[in-house]
Amino acid sequence: MTMRRPIILLLLAPAMLLVGLLFVAPLVGVMSLTVHDGTSFTAEPIRELLGSRVALVVLERTFMLAASVTAICLLLGYPAAYFMSTLRPRVRAYLTYLILLPFWVSILIRTYTWIVILGREGIVNTGLGALGLAPVKILYTNVAVHIGMVQILLPIVIITCLASMLDIDKDLMKAARSLGASPAQSFWKVFFPLSVSGAATGGLICFILSLGFFVTPALLGGRRSIIIANLIDLQVHQTLNWGFAAVLATALLAITLACLGVFWLLMRRRVEFSGAGLGR
Amino acid sequence: MVNLTRRAFGIGAASVALGALSARMAAAQDVTIVVNGSGGSLAEVLKKLFEDPFTEQTGIKVRATAPVSLPKLKAMVESGNVEWDLTELNGDDVVLATKEGWLEEIDYSIVDPENELPEMAKLPTAMVRASYSTVLGFRTDRFPEDKQPKTWADFWDVENFPGPRSLENSPKCNLEFALLADGVPLDELYPLDVDRAFAKLDEIKDHIPVWWDNGAQHVQLLVDGEVNMTSCWNGRITPLKSEGRPVEISWAGGALLLSYLGIPKGAKHPTEAMQFMKFRMDPVASAEFVKVMPYPGFVPGMMELLEREFVATLPTAPENAEQQFAFNSSWWAENLEEVQNRWNEWLLI
Repeated sequence: MTMRRPIILLLLAPAMLLVGLLFVAPLVGVMSLTVHDGTSFTAEPIRELLGSRVALVVLERTFMLAASVTAICLLLGYPAAYFMSTLRPRVRAYLTYLILLPFWVSILIRTYTWIVILGREGIVNTGLGALGLAPVKILYTNVAVHIGMVQILLPIVIITCLASMLDIDKDLMKAARSLGASPAQSFWKVFFPLSVSGAATGGLICFILSLGFFVTPALLGGRRSIIIANLIDLQVHQTLNWGFAAVLATALLAITLACLGVFWLLMRRRVEFSGAGLGR
Repeated sequence: MVNLTRRAFGIGAASVALGALSARMAAAQDVTIVVNGSGGSLAEVLKKLFEDPFTEQTGIKVRATAPVSLPKLKAMVESGNVEWDLTELNGDDVVLATKEGWLEEIDYSIVDPENELPEMAKLPTAMVRASYSTVLGFRTDRFPEDKQPKTWADFWDVENFPGPRSLENSPKCNLEFALLADGVPLDELYPLDVDRAFAKLDEIKDHIPVWWDNGAQHVQLLVDGEVNMTSCWNGRITPLKSEGRPVEISWAGGALLLSYLGIPKGAKHPTEAMQFMKFRMDPVASAEFVKVMPYPGFVPGMMELLEREFVATLPTAPENAEQQFAFNSSWWAENLEEVQNRWNEWLLI
């Protein structure tokens, strides 16, 4: 063991160096802008954040959007993953391939495609018109942003859920059935508790990725769909107020880390709880 | 710094006296200048008409980069790692960058030794490269032939000119358009009455489903039929019209804007950059450029090389210019931060 530790460190060193130089160092640089304007220490950016109604509204909007996108992804992704977990491995492999297929197309292209589909004279409205129905306004609303984001994030949720479901021993459900549980009971009392940590991990990844979305809200949303990344971009490119941009970025990072912390605490309790449940 | 100016001056004087010979001297140094521009199809035209011939004549190589970005200029100058030797800039960027000390002084004895450029094209830290207009653009097929939108008052008139519209996601120009729609005469716009402009913008806000961020987007919005009218850049609509698309612009109440070339503070090859600026003043190549990209600069002798009918489609043609207002870069540089913050609050909440 003592011999192996240096080897492990050696193997980790290149990756850590890369992350340190290209991620941690710039991050510290950005964070230092929140209290230092290049010549002296200042509390201005933080004061600006607390006094900015736009920043607080947009931060709240960002978290609400991430939460609703995550909820939709879980509602759609969990049943899909469950269905896939019941299939024969060959069919499942084929479906997995189909689910991963969109990853080969850039997010930008997929987002632009939604413009073609959802636009005022897009495919959806042309179809509705042909059926004699009134056109719907989807593009440049929050609905379009949700559609675009769910389409991008859903595969991640499905794959994460599926991975944890495949680890579940199917004989446990058979055992439950043989002891008199109904199919619904064997699902809710045995399968669901065992799969919930995988689903929660998928949801967390989805939530954190949603918080940092930029292109999709910018291209598919209206003026009220702007989220925190777009606001940071505005401060960097339009007003050149880099202190404010840095404080927004730091606030986003801090709140994200806080969410991670809460999740970690909850999951630890959950594991202890379900562990105890299994032992009984 | 003194050395640099003297050297610049020396080379400038030599080029006047010895013509191409001085260029060969520069070539011996094997220099590559980095010229930052808007990129895209524009970059290809610039390469063919200016950059390649410049390298051929002087031996100075040109590397083009994109996009135009004031924050990048700020980062380069402040970090002392200046990549660009020359960059495009818009008007209020020039004012701001000059105030912040991000631009070198231009030595017009090199750029314009014959003193041919009009004075208004020669700022101490930047030279006018092109002019363009932000104007009202619309779909001709969405309005009856005798009732096409012409003015910003029409743009605001949602009863007589129905349908969704778009404006740029920026207070610049939009405040002016709002005031024009509210009846302010062209020559009394500045200083802008910000309160009155926002009050007028309140009226149109709900009729604007999307606020565009770049030129490609407003083209797409018009072509896809997403909106019936939008503010737009004149040069983006000209090619659509020649493709036969049902789009048109109205010069009335348009904003006439200038685009500049400037040298970042601490650029590695300021002298060669200025030589290239001089080269960009060639009237024949400039005329060819304007035929492809209808953004004319103030190159002396260029307009005479163009067909009269074509000149009439340019933003600076007298009959077009007199319907527009000159965008006041100084006012905007002075007030941008405050107005932009108010804009964000107005738009995003």
